[in-house]
Amino acid sequence: MTQNLRRNLANRCNALKSTGPKSVAGKRASSQNSRKHGLNSAPDFESSSEYRALVELIAEEGFSAFVCADIASSLLNYRRVMDAYYDTYTSPEPVDEFLRDANVKASNPIFSELLSPSGSEPQDVREMAAFFASMQRQERRKGGPVSRRSADTHKLIRYQRNAIARLSSAVRQG
Amino acid sequence: MLYNVHFGIYVDVAMPVEDKSKSLLPFLSSPKLLPDESEAEFQSGLQSLLSELDNPSPLAVALVSQLNECLWWIRRHTVDKELLLHEAMARLLSKAGNHWDTYDNHKVSEALERYFNGSADKDEAALIDEILAESKLTLSDLRVRAFKDAARHIKMVDDLIHRQHQTMRHLQRSIDSIDYKSRLIKRMDLELAALESKQPVKGALTLDAKPS
Repeated sequence: MTQNLRRNLANRCNALKSTGPKSVAGKRASSQNSRKHGLNSAPDFESSSEYRALVELIAEEGFSAFVCADIASSLLNYRRVMDAYYDTYTSPEPVDEFLRDANVKASNPIFSELLSPSGSEPQDVREMAAFFASMQRQERRKGGPVSRRSADTHKLIRYQRNAIARLSSAVRQG
Repeated sequence: MLYNVHFGIYVDVAMPVEDKSKSLLPFLSSPKLLPDESEAEFQSGLQSLLSELDNPSPLAVALVSQLNECLWWIRRHTVDKELLLHEAMARLLSKAGNHWDTYDNHKVSEALERYFNGSADKDEAALIDEILAESKLTLSDLRVRAFKDAARHIKMVDDLIHRQHQTMRHLQRSIDSIDYKSRLIKRMDLELAALESKQPVKGALTLDAKPS
């Protein structure tokens, strides 16, 4: 257990020293790290075959060409949001069980052992322990898997609101 | 395990529409079900909603399928509220026991789940009773405390349910508008036909002409 704890803490300490990716491919990959659902990017429905098929089918119901285009793009946009909603709901941020369950006080000797080769002082160990404890508090505040998926899905409310308002207004103006 | 749902199986739901060549649904992404959800139940809900449409146009059918998905989301979020309470209760019990070294003990969570279901074996029941006694809590106290702890997340789930209700209102209004439009067109066609039938055959082209 202590070996595991030591290894995990060593990995986390070393990760803190990382200065990020060096290669172009690595930088390109890490530039997408903060991408969550892609709903902020402008969609291009007009060039898709689905859009053209939808416009034709909606036109048969007696809507004008402008309204047909509006309804088709609103429907596709609404589906895009609902797909992102499902994906967010089904893949919440994983619980970091090591961080959540770790005993910070018991880790102090390991911190001092890990930091000693660099000639660190007790103050450094205390700072490292405080940093670790704050990360643990953050992790615990996020709760379990159900809390996480609720919180993540909650962020998509505004996208759903906008998408359905646009769809509803497109249908009713026709 | 009640709240450790493993996701991964994506069930595409084929929408039953009478005239598939006229349906919008093949061009829209389908609502997906979770692995433990019944496809038959989803379809039967959709069929019952579709049966209430007087004149199921392709657009109305597409909107009704979105409405059915909203109902499904409300069900999921309602279950989530209970799961949040369970999660909070399990966490409180894990912290209350003197000999627990982890923040959220899976063993306690599973024992608690079976304890509430009435399917707990002797050891599990004894475990829960022991922790409750150690922490001087009753089950209702535990539930109240858990509710207090999970209030922030329960509020979020309430917001999600409210959003689905609002979405359903929008969809319902849109469906009504399509229905009204088709009725209006039908009525105008009938009125026109009635007017035409009143005119003499030669005067069919002079419908708007004023008598001189």
